[in-house]
Amino acid sequence: MLRSSVALSILVSFLPLAALFFLGMEALGTDWGALLTDETWRDSLFTTLYVVSVSTIVSLVLGTWVARTVVNQRWRFTSTILKIPMFVPHIAAAYLFWLLFSGSNGFWGIESNERDYVTVILTYIWKETPFVFLMMIGTYEQLNRGYVETAKTLQLSPYAQFKHAEFPFLIKPLLDSTWILIAFISFAYEVPALLGVTYPKLIGVLAYERLSTGLYLEATEPYAVALIWTCFVGFGVFVSYVMTASVRRRIERGVRR
Amino acid sequence: MIRQGFILLIALFPFVSLFLVAPSMEIGNVEYIVHTVGLTIILSGINVWLATTFAWWLLWTESRWKSVIEWLVFLPLFIPMLATLFGLYLILAEVGLIGTYIGVILALLVVTIPYSIRLAYNGMAVIGRPLLEQARLLPMSRRVVYVLYPLFSRMMRTIALFTTVILLSQFALIQLIGAGLIPTVTTELYQSYAGNNRSLALSNTWMLILFPVVIYFLLSGWNRWMVRMLKGRLQ
Amino acid sequence: MSLNVHDLRKQFGSRHILDGVNFKVAPHDIHAIVGVSGSGKSTILRIIAGLETADGGDVWWNHRSLNNIPAHKRRVTMLSQTALLFPHLTVGENVTLATRGRSRKQAEHWLQVVRLADRYNAEIHELSGGEQQRVSLARALAAEPELLLLDEPFTNLDPKLKLDLQRFIRDLVKELGLTAVLVTHDREEAMLMADRVTLLEAGKVTQTGTAEELYDSAPGFGDFVMLDGKLRPLSEVEISETIGEPVQLMKKIYRFGQCFGEYHFEDGRSVMLPTHEWFRIGMTYRIKRKEEYHA
Repeated sequence: MLRSSVALSILVSFLPLAALFFLGMEALGTDWGALLTDETWRDSLFTTLYVVSVSTIVSLVLGTWVARTVVNQRWRFTSTILKIPMFVPHIAAAYLFWLLFSGSNGFWGIESNERDYVTVILTYIWKETPFVFLMMIGTYEQLNRGYVETAKTLQLSPYAQFKHAEFPFLIKPLLDSTWILIAFISFAYEVPALLGVTYPKLIGVLAYERLSTGLYLEATEPYAVALIWTCFVGFGVFVSYVMTASVRRRIERGVRR
Repeated sequence: MIRQGFILLIALFPFVSLFLVAPSMEIGNVEYIVHTVGLTIILSGINVWLATTFAWWLLWTESRWKSVIEWLVFLPLFIPMLATLFGLYLILAEVGLIGTYIGVILALLVVTIPYSIRLAYNGMAVIGRPLLEQARLLPMSRRVVYVLYPLFSRMMRTIALFTTVILLSQFALIQLIGAGLIPTVTTELYQSYAGNNRSLALSNTWMLILFPVVIYFLLSGWNRWMVRMLKGRLQ
Repeated sequence: MSLNVHDLRKQFGSRHILDGVNFKVAPHDIHAIVGVSGSGKSTILRIIAGLETADGGDVWWNHRSLNNIPAHKRRVTMLSQTALLFPHLTVGENVTLATRGRSRKQAEHWLQVVRLADRYNAEIHELSGGEQQRVSLARALAAEPELLLLDEPFTNLDPKLKLDLQRFIRDLVKELGLTAVLVTHDREEAMLMADRVTLLEAGKVTQTGTAEELYDSAPGFGDFVMLDGKLRPLSEVEISETIGEPVQLMKKIYRFGQCFGEYHFEDGRSVMLPTHEWFRIGMTYRIKRKEEYHA
């Protein structure tokens, strides 16, 4: 029984790779030159890069900072409350933000649907900060406080204390969180479809709409874009893990728990 | 204290929106609610089962393929969900599962299982090998009922909860693979939003938020009752 | 450069960890605080280092209160049970990090002092436990501390290495003219390393003095014998048939498959030592330092 369910899990996990293969086959007929010079896609790409980088960086910094503070100050109640946004489905979160900023409710002149994608970014930050928090709090709870104390008694500045006695142990979970967030935010439909604008759309929205709208049924472009984007993220994942492999291995071997 | 209050305020502030408009109370067609509940139960069950057994296997296996399989299983976390979805759409179209319940469940399983396995694996790592090693010495049925179930109950609740939240977040997936034939609370919300029916959209939002809450309390109650019953049997 | 700990108090919940602890450490002295685990000895060091705050009392260094100075500005470094070298850095980088001005030259100097000059580029996991502890010492010294705190730094080492490192650190601290506070549960270690010893029991000081003073006044203080006018730990002495101070064999017992004898000195003190099975009760034998300790 155990064997068959393990085999089933592996099979299910294999499907995304098979899906990528099919994506590649379908994308073969794409006119790549036209795709790369198409302004609509290009504008979408830049907007997406902007939304992804701001949301990811802010969520990572906030999530890590809050996890660090919660563990240091032993805020157990706050820790529980902070997890709540994680259990709100993305689309519901997007609608909450839409209501918050729509019409006369708009704060500081921010509209719920506008070209700068502020509400999209805010929704993602609100949803993903608790995710990063959850990924980091385990690390912070297991972190050997002795390293920070040693750094203090070695007369290192607070910045150097963080750099040498905390950050090295955060590399692995930060790397994992970063790429999960990038993969998740960069090519999604629900949140930017609800809070975005007609032009420029984020590439996930554009790709999905081109795929599902009758006008473009024959188009292979969405598949090609999905493939390029996956390769782009995959390349980033590969390079960042390879580049940090030696330092991560060194830390894993030399750490005292 | 001020810092703590500020953080809590930001975490909870967006919920204010729930009270800005009065939600619609009319429920005409309950089909989409039934679908959502059905999908949640089936998918949570499959996820808990597959993730727990797989993580258990991964913890003890001495297979030389271990690291390869580990990568294979966690890799989908780094593949954008829509890209997986587009590819799955092509595969499922090939085998004629578009617009079917099975097709939707399969697609949802693909996007949820990496998270579930990761949660299960981390959960077991936190409990620690030494304790679990002790459990392995017991006969199978006693091991599962009296030791592993109580130890894993919280982790299994989290898996079910995460699965539910990911499932409730999917609009594009259900719309594309379900070919619009399988309405859920999520697709209803989107359509009422597109149709500019604010109060209906809000009542759907309420449902999406309350769903995980209900699941959480149901599972917590169930776990507590089960553990108490098992303890009672040992006395 | 003297340290004055005055009426130190600390409470965790309802438990009094430190209940008015007083002691003074003279300049360039090594001062040991001896107590069983839970007696509060490590808490004293952590308060001196600034890693914990006391509920009451003062720590004075050079007639200046340390109470409101953050840990990283106290010029106090600490060596703890585990070496805790930063694993992302090499051995040399660990030491360089602690030097003022991040000087590689100084780091090389300190590694030379701890006899590890050739391991500058080694990674942490390549070192043995004893080597790691020596690098940790080099790193602590590289920070140019005025006061060195030693929190049971020899606990995780094997006996031979432990003895080597104890002597090495003692000699080095003396040579550099540092002031040091050593915390340990091991009386032998305290006797071996310290100029003065403070005994701590349940958060209170019961006695302070030189090792010899404590040997005279505290009955059953450690496993030591007075030999050639100096205190020697039992691990350094043995029973011989011909050379040494005379002792009388009173009793033989067997423990762990080995024979031990209870010997009495002329002044009535007694000592338990490993013994040949053919030694006879009532006869007089001799006690002497082992050959290897004469070097």
